[in-house]
Amino acid sequence: MKKSKTIQLILITAALASCQEKKKEPEWGGGNKTYVRGDSTAPYARTHHGGMGLATAALWFYAFRPYGNYNNGTYSRAGYYSRAIPTGSNIGTNGYKGNVTRGGFGRGGYSVGS
Amino acid sequence: MINDKFLLLMDRIKTSPRNNWQASVEKLGFGFHTTDVPYWDETAYYSFSLAEVEQIEKATNTLWELSLKAVQHVIDNKLYSKFHIPENYIPYIEKTWNEEHPSIYGRFDFCFKNGKIKMLEFNGDTPTSLYEAAIVQWFWLQDFDKNKDQLNSIHEKLIAYWKYLKVYLQPGKLHFTCLKETLEDLTNTEYMRDCAIQAGIETKLVFIDDIGWDEDSKQFLDLEDEPIKNIFKLYPWEWLAGEQFGTNILEHTNKVFWIEPSWKMLLSNKAILPILWELNPTCEYLLPSYFDDNGMKDYVKKPILSREGANIEMVKHYGTIQQTTGEYGQEGFVYQQLFELPDFDDNYPVIGSWIIGQEAAGIGIREANNLITDNKSRFVPHLIS
Repeated sequence: MKKSKTIQLILITAALASCQEKKKEPEWGGGNKTYVRGDSTAPYARTHHGGMGLATAALWFYAFRPYGNYNNGTYSRAGYYSRAIPTGSNIGTNGYKGNVTRGGFGRGGYSVGS
Repeated sequence: MINDKFLLLMDRIKTSPRNNWQASVEKLGFGFHTTDVPYWDETAYYSFSLAEVEQIEKATNTLWELSLKAVQHVIDNKLYSKFHIPENYIPYIEKTWNEEHPSIYGRFDFCFKNGKIKMLEFNGDTPTSLYEAAIVQWFWLQDFDKNKDQLNSIHEKLIAYWKYLKVYLQPGKLHFTCLKETLEDLTNTEYMRDCAIQAGIETKLVFIDDIGWDEDSKQFLDLEDEPIKNIFKLYPWEWLAGEQFGTNILEHTNKVFWIEPSWKMLLSNKAILPILWELNPTCEYLLPSYFDDNGMKDYVKKPILSREGANIEMVKHYGTIQQTTGEYGQEGFVYQQLFELPDFDDNYPVIGSWIIGQEAAGIGIREANNLITDNKSRFVPHLIS
């Protein structure tokens, strides 16, 4: 049974109360060929999404996310990456990105739901 | 209503939802109360007697103890093939078990009928509906009847157990991760992080697909290149193990604590059900379960790795009475004796009973309109009458 009658939440209400459910993405039309890269030093790669073009892709899947690091307390933005494109097209020869790859987890599903 | 002398107590009571209940739950940060169909449902609640909730607590604690013994049995007897565990993960599973890597929670799913509790399965790796059970239904009760109580000390026990675990974590932050495109997963993860913060732990959120792997230092990094030392993940081990980065976990020199630890792969897998039954055939909370139908005429066939009620087949008198579709089943099935959920005017409740640390901590009830609880089920609050 409840042992306490007071519950405090210090993080979640502020962080999540303004969240909205993911909106349905606009369709971009099937069969489009889109070439993208995550770094100006990297070669372009054609996006691939199960042979259905971008028609059913979620926009966030292709989103480029900021990427950076802290050095002596100062944040430096190294660039952007996307999990939708191969490692080579994300990193190129950008020394800041070094030998770090991202997007190796997270393709397992759309929700845990168990 | 059910016409059974044992069920005069547990009951489903229809009631009026709070005015503007959507705003009430959204204030709590509960944003996924309604999808295509209502998920949070306060048009009814379940009531239990004190004796019944004590019965649920006792069953939960007993089954947790038996579950830990079953894990030891699987490891001692190398029964991994029954679980479809990747070979390369076996040493790592044994290591996290032998070294007692931190674990915080799990959820048993119970059928409670005719005064009997039967375990349907255990969600030991990535149980969800935590926030609804710990917080949303508790605040519903405050509005509905402050003088009543719930079988619910989940919040307090989470904070207390994070405090206990704090000294066992690696030096450094405790990261939290989940998929980024799902508000439900994010809510559960952020709620867990909230409890860890209240336990005095320094935390950081990184989405699972933003995690980086540094090939030079052989470390996992967050988006700011900070090495990950401890990480709570709402992301199943079978997915981690099967993905591009999965082998990096095994070669990782930093010895990250992944929470839940990898030995939970054994408990979140339905192959544990026949093992539990084999070890404890007289346990009143277990249903006969096997790796084949064993001649049973009434049983439920479940994939060992299914989620949200997918690919379930319910057989009665040798004939299929209900079946769901999905993408699971390749890894194999278990067969569990049929024990039908109680019928409250075509509402079929499953009781999710939480274990936090080593203790029963509370319940959340999901009900469906059929005997298989799937991703269209509703969360219904409860109270102690």
